[in-house]
Amino acid sequence: MPRDSARIHDVPDDLLAAMDYCYEQGWTDGLPVVPPVVQRVEAMMMYEGRPPETVIATHPATGLECTIHAAAVNAVMSGCLPEYFSVIVAAFEAMNEPDFNFHGSTASTGGSAPLLIVSGGVADEIGMNADVNLFGPGNRANGTIGRATRLILRNVFQMIPGISDKSTQGNPNKFSFCIAERARGNPWPLLVETLDYPEGVSSVTAFAGGGFFNIENHGGAAPEEVLGSIAHTMAGLGVLTLGQSVVVLAPEHMRILGNAGWTRERAQDYLFENARRSRSELEAVGKFRQQDFDRQRDPAHASPLLHDDYMHRGIGPADILIMMGGGDAGGHSCFIPSWSRARSSLMQSKPIGVCIDCD
Amino acid sequence: MELYDPTVAGPERDSSRAPSLISLEGKTVGYLHNGKLNAINMLRETAELFAARHGCQIAPVYSKYNASAPAPKETLQQAADEIDFLITGLGD
Repeated sequence: MPRDSARIHDVPDDLLAAMDYCYEQGWTDGLPVVPPVVQRVEAMMMYEGRPPETVIATHPATGLECTIHAAAVNAVMSGCLPEYFSVIVAAFEAMNEPDFNFHGSTASTGGSAPLLIVSGGVADEIGMNADVNLFGPGNRANGTIGRATRLILRNVFQMIPGISDKSTQGNPNKFSFCIAERARGNPWPLLVETLDYPEGVSSVTAFAGGGFFNIENHGGAAPEEVLGSIAHTMAGLGVLTLGQSVVVLAPEHMRILGNAGWTRERAQDYLFENARRSRSELEAVGKFRQQDFDRQRDPAHASPLLHDDYMHRGIGPADILIMMGGGDAGGHSCFIPSWSRARSSLMQSKPIGVCIDCD
Repeated sequence: MELYDPTVAGPERDSSRAPSLISLEGKTVGYLHNGKLNAINMLRETAELFAARHGCQIAPVYSKYNASAPAPKETLQQAADEIDFLITGLGD
């Protein structure tokens, strides 16, 4: 039986007609959706212990609220299995943190897409891909969790392309942008292990990703060589900002760092120090901003790795999330810059399926 | 077949437009700076036009901490208490 408080649409018992009906209502991302039949939505919510009316995220400008129920409806439409649902809920709890600014990052001309990174045992339990062809396509969990995020932004929060989503050129990742961190063969602690969660808990990190840069380096054999090519990409004049960064190291590159005994912190330091451009280089393309330069040197947080008269990417090494992901073969890592010229969105992490220090 | 609606109803809000000013003469104008590169220049010059043409007083600038987030409630409340009208814009 449908819930009394939810709005129900009676449509003919014809699956293709129901899919067309969803198109006609403006409920899709352009691709067909699974019609959100009552039974499937109820099955989705069985994987969440809180009442359906529980609010997990609120739009700061419009006051629109995403409840467990609304999230479940959209998760069904995206093609999610019920066991994926806790990841979606945790992702929106992360995106609901004010510093993530999901309104701004979705509405902006910058065209970012929320990248979700799942770390810990949940990834394997629900069959996520952390391996070959990491960013897809081909994996149902990665693909549909990321897609559910978009459908919730569209249907619940009314972030409609061209109306309230004013991306100048959009971004293919707006369809889906969700990966898992690879544990197999990883010499570093997993991202979730760097968070202050109890053992066994998994996490999802949301990051307003402004693009995707493949970094090819098949010749580099030392950490400085591999990271040097990554730093050069991060220092591109089109992407050098005070914003945060995500770097996904291919296993082939990670092995070079791991074999040399490099830690995540050392790699972060190296990238921060070397992802930089001189004032004159930025001025030459009209992109030097004194206020950003001064902010980077604020005595409250100024990094000792800063070079005089250079702009670095981010505020400090901790702004660079480095993880491993992808298949065994290939010297292809990637860099994903944050949205915005400044620091209008900061990545946020939440535990999956558990409540830690909740109200 | 019964489908749940994937959208939600918006909150009921008690909001209404402020009454129009009968005259701009001698009023206090404020401007809300959003942090964009050229916004403060554009807004200041616009406010100066109100001062020159209508004798308006210009209030100290109000600022948003984040160009892409709504202005904090306390900032808007402060502006409402201190000025007669507010101008804002992107200036990007």
